[in-house]
Amino acid sequence: MQRYLSYIGMFIGVVLLQIFLLDNISLGIYFHPLIYVAFVIILPLDMRPVWVLLLSAVLGLTMDMMTGMCGLNVIATTATGFARSLIIGFTSGLNTGVDDTIPALYRLPQKNLLTYIIMMILLHSAIYFIMESLSMAHLFHTLLRVIVSDVFSVIIVWYIVKLFIEKILNK
Amino acid sequence: MYKLIEFIRRIYVVLLFLMIEGVALYAYAHSTYYTQAKIIAHTNSIVGGLQNSIFGVKHYFTLRSENEMLAQRVADLETQVEFLREQQAASADSVAYEQMDSLTAQGLVQYRHMAARIISNTTNRTRNFITLNKGTMHGVIPNMGVITPDGVMVGFVAACSNRYSVVKSILNTDFRTSGKIVGDERIGSIAWSGKSPYRVEMNNLSIYAEIEVGDEVISSGVSQYFPPDMKVRIGYVESYKRNDSQTANDVVIRLATDLAKVSNVILIENYDYNEVTELESAVQNGSYSTGGAVTPY
Repeated sequence: MQRYLSYIGMFIGVVLLQIFLLDNISLGIYFHPLIYVAFVIILPLDMRPVWVLLLSAVLGLTMDMMTGMCGLNVIATTATGFARSLIIGFTSGLNTGVDDTIPALYRLPQKNLLTYIIMMILLHSAIYFIMESLSMAHLFHTLLRVIVSDVFSVIIVWYIVKLFIEKILNK
Repeated sequence: MYKLIEFIRRIYVVLLFLMIEGVALYAYAHSTYYTQAKIIAHTNSIVGGLQNSIFGVKHYFTLRSENEMLAQRVADLETQVEFLREQQAASADSVAYEQMDSLTAQGLVQYRHMAARIISNTTNRTRNFITLNKGTMHGVIPNMGVITPDGVMVGFVAACSNRYSVVKSILNTDFRTSGKIVGDERIGSIAWSGKSPYRVEMNNLSIYAEIEVGDEVISSGVSQYFPPDMKVRIGYVESYKRNDSQTANDVVIRLATDLAKVSNVILIENYDYNEVTELESAVQNGSYSTGGAVTPY
């Protein structure tokens, strides 16, 4: 029960952090870290894909309602949730264990955890920014937005994940 | 049949994914700035209160400079009022200012001003909106023009809820307005390319327009959002060049204000806005004939 509550708490936490803090920092057009995807990242790695998909959609829908984006967050977050199992397979495959089971989030080596976070954030923000600009004319400009914003997103999400593993899961 | 069920059971996650993405893509493709603003206006009944209190703290730190600016603005306006009052008194058909309301009712006063505070403002998206702490219950209606207290263009009201309203900012790639260089009557169309929150672009400015780097760019006066004689500032010419077809100038304008730092705005209502736009659309639809009244639809 407490485990479910901690996930619900994380959901609310990342949404509030995104809306009230990060969306209010105006450091130019290139700085727009999207950290709420941290919720999809911290979901148990062995969770059934259909649940990951549904929870990602709910997260995207919540962000859409809060920011008035009409589906943009759902598109990016659901796609990230869908690709999550592939990304997990890729990152845990880097470190082939004795058995073929997927390790828990806190058992992932630091390097693999970082790769996992980077790939998830990169995928999410790339879809988000490309769909938002919807123009090939600004492709370079969009790529720059993805890179600059993601550097900050990765740093923030890294600490969120660490905090979640150490303080909330007590691992 | 069993095989079909088995097949669906195996790929239902993919199907579900495609379905969710399909619905989201449909919603996103059919959303306009107006639907976006509507959603923000509605959710603001919940989020707005919290945003309001957070912004209250931020607002505290900029109070001093804002007060100075407002005081200056008040002084300027007082001077103008005094001047107008004298003019009014001098003219034969002078009307007392107490009769202002009846003038409005008769259509003699075209614009109304109102102050509001920004409670949420983005500048880092391609479609930026600003939320204000006043809504329909305070008399805000869609399509009111929005300027800063020192007269710089901010945008126009896109949607209102009871207590809040959402402004489509000049930093929104859907925003269009017209502008001109001070001292020249030729008009160019202004839009934001989504690149820098400090610059907008003016296209199709006549090659005969007298233009120099540093020139002031103001609203054209043909806009329905801002009074023609108000000279709403937009920014200053940073650079300009002929467009690819060599037929007009493309101008890069440095905005006169950093929109991220604005916290108070003035709203301007044009009482004739609906009448003018209805008449224009009636002519465009061909339902208006000269000499006749506008056909009701």
